Amino acid sequence: MLFTSVAFLIFLPCVVLLYYLLPARHRWLLLLPASYLFYGWWKVEFLVLILFSTLVDYLVSRSMYQARSMIKRRLLLGVSLLSNLGLLFLFKYVIMFTEKPDPMILNIYSVDHPIMGMIKYGIYYAIPVGISFYTFQTLSYTIDVYFQRIEPEKHFGRFALFVSFFPQLVAGPIERFSHLMPQLKADHRFNYENVRNAFRLMLYGFFIKMCVADNIAPLVDAVYTNPNTYTTLSNWIGTLGFGFQIYADFAGYSLIAQGASLLLGIQLMDNFRTPYLSTNITEFWSRWHISLSTWFRDYLYIPLGGNRVAYGRWVLNILVVFAVSGLWHGADWKFMVWGLIHGAMYLLQRMGKQTGWTRTMPLWLSGLLTFIGVQFAWIFFRIDGMEGVSDHLHNLLHAGTQSLQIPPYVWLIIGFFILSDWILYNTRVDRWIGSKPIWLRWITYAWMLWCIAAWSGVTNHPFIYFQF
Amino acid sequence: MTAFNYWYVNAGYWEDDLDQYASMLPEVLDKQDTCDVLYFGESSNFSYHPTRDSLQDRISDFISYGFPELRFGTINSSAYHAGIYLPLIERIRSNSQVEFVIVTLNMRTLDQAAIYSELESALQQSARFYKPAPALINRLLVSLHYYDDRDAMERDRLKWQEWTYDTLTSDAPGIAFEPNTIRRWCETIKFPNADGIDSMEKRALADHYIKAYAFEIDEENPRIKDLDQIVRVCAERKFKLVFNLLAENVEYADSLVGENLVWLMRKNRDYLKQRYNSVDVRLVDNLESVAGKHYTDQNWTTEHYDQVGRQIIARNVQDTLRNWLAQTERKIKVIR
Repeated sequence: MLFTSVAFLIFLPCVVLLYYLLPARHRWLLLLPASYLFYGWWKVEFLVLILFSTLVDYLVSRSMYQARSMIKRRLLLGVSLLSNLGLLFLFKYVIMFTEKPDPMILNIYSVDHPIMGMIKYGIYYAIPVGISFYTFQTLSYTIDVYFQRIEPEKHFGRFALFVSFFPQLVAGPIERFSHLMPQLKADHRFNYENVRNAFRLMLYGFFIKMCVADNIAPLVDAVYTNPNTYTTLSNWIGTLGFGFQIYADFAGYSLIAQGASLLLGIQLMDNFRTPYLSTNITEFWSRWHISLSTWFRDYLYIPLGGNRVAYGRWVLNILVVFAVSGLWHGADWKFMVWGLIHGAMYLLQRMGKQTGWTRTMPLWLSGLLTFIGVQFAWIFFRIDGMEGVSDHLHNLLHAGTQSLQIPPYVWLIIGFFILSDWILYNTRVDRWIGSKPIWLRWITYAWMLWCIAAWSGVTNHPFIYFQF
Repeated sequence: MTAFNYWYVNAGYWEDDLDQYASMLPEVLDKQDTCDVLYFGESSNFSYHPTRDSLQDRISDFISYGFPELRFGTINSSAYHAGIYLPLIERIRSNSQVEFVIVTLNMRTLDQAAIYSELESALQQSARFYKPAPALINRLLVSLHYYDDRDAMERDRLKWQEWTYDTLTSDAPGIAFEPNTIRRWCETIKFPNADGIDSMEKRALADHYIKAYAFEIDEENPRIKDLDQIVRVCAERKFKLVFNLLAENVEYADSLVGENLVWLMRKNRDYLKQRYNSVDVRLVDNLESVAGKHYTDQNWTTEHYDQVGRQIIARNVQDTLRNWLAQTERKIKVIR
């Protein structure tokens, strides 16, 4: 079920109403089926995979906790890693090494053997939405149990809810067991303050997803599909546009997720904090997709030795973490290149700091360079194939004659978005709105409601991170 | 929301959206007060043969030449079908000037390829704008994708499912479907050349004819439901409704695939004729009225005709209108 759908706008109030009518100990009986309904709304087949992952991790973690020998514990961890990463590999990375199947696989002229065609088509068709998100969430759980940081959950239903909790199931934030589970068990009373803040988060989330991201998306698509057609200025707008699109798209989703969860009294972690205002790449990664970057820090970078290793090994660790974080996004070499560019920027910044040559650099210049570097890396992220990169870069300087047609209200919306991002530096939208006088609050609400109703994007662009 | 809706409509944003996504609505709203006859058509109406045609007049134009006293309006957009005409017809007021509504009925729009076509998402988006609801509500519902907006892969899957599992049956003597699914039928059809090698080009065309026409219409067909709704709306508003069943290239269907396919086409035609001929509805049967040579696309299944084909269809519609007018008290000049 998409957040930006009529179905969700009916589903959420029903769940919230029933949630507060039920006693706390029975709420999982509502939230679990509701989460499966939310997920199965796409395709019922998805539920098979999430149930499989849930069952394996539940059994493995229980056995691991009771196991006395280290070998058995390791074996069980191996089973969990293999099943979770195996599914991820099957659905996301097998296709990295195969051609996309002809959608008309039953076409008698298809080059594929019918059986192979069916298998490939089946894999493409059944790629579960958000598999990377819930896989990483359950992985962190089994790893934490393995290292005895947490005790495994005894109640299968509650554990299944931890894996499938609908607000953050398909695109995060990737929550830790120690943060989410106590909240899922707690007795949350209806709290007006929470509900008010939840609506603020959701309203701003809908605004930036539907008005900013969805209005920019067709411009970006046009430029990336036919870069030769458009003028240099249009190519620049399209290229920079993708940076804004993906930010608004993902941050918008995260805010709606936070808001929906807060309606139930459950606080999800912040996933974005105005990342484009970062003054260096380290700061960028502490502000962009925070739940994933902290996941990689805790479950990959530190186990690899972190920075407590020789310099050469540290450099390698950094590059490995960024390359893997790139590949996490999808089955394509371009994502790895995107990750490695970030890795290189990170190393460059650290070297600059160590040698002292960035010490005299003004913050605005450092911030600008970070912004340019991040936007440059997005080209690799968005491009359809690595072979198109040089062509795209070339067209940023020499291109065609056609200009993008951008309605004036889209500029107005983008301007408002940039201004609000500036204002929200080091604060969150619900807190900012709450601190303002009532007239300004209602003008802001009315403005965002108007934009959503009359100026939101019309073409269907699902949340970008659903594919990951 | 009322204030927002007022601003949206009166500040020109609605008009901009209609221009971009649903351009037929302003035409319907304008023409309902100036026309006696509204003709709803798709590309069959305006396509013509680029070299052979000296006249590029549309089918609706040819029809109108027969009734100089009737004011004709044409609502025309490529790929439109009953499901899109319906919300447009719902927008015509019962106290408008409209007396006759002519709706193009393209048999291929009832097949699986059309029902699950990738074009459907864009068409359904337009249809959402046409629905009789406050303009801003429609706009918001479009943004929330409150219409049939399935992705291409899902549409392909549904299409293939029907082509694989829906069976064709016959109770007519001499007609038997073996293989009895579209998929098997396509797989078995062969056109060996003199050297025994399969002629892929011809086979692909035959394959396409099977996918386009090998189906049996029933009440569950979504287009039938749309057509039924059109009948209901027109009856409620006292519009005289004419379905213009377009000609299909039956000749080529016969030569490429054979009598089984033609039997199905005729069976579907008979179903439509039986269902849509009543006091307030007429169905003009053009199915076999245009010879194969008058189709502008010789290597594909379309309802695009040269001027002879368009005139034949127009004449058949004229005859139906003329007969109907003769039964009413209204006396108008008719040119034969």
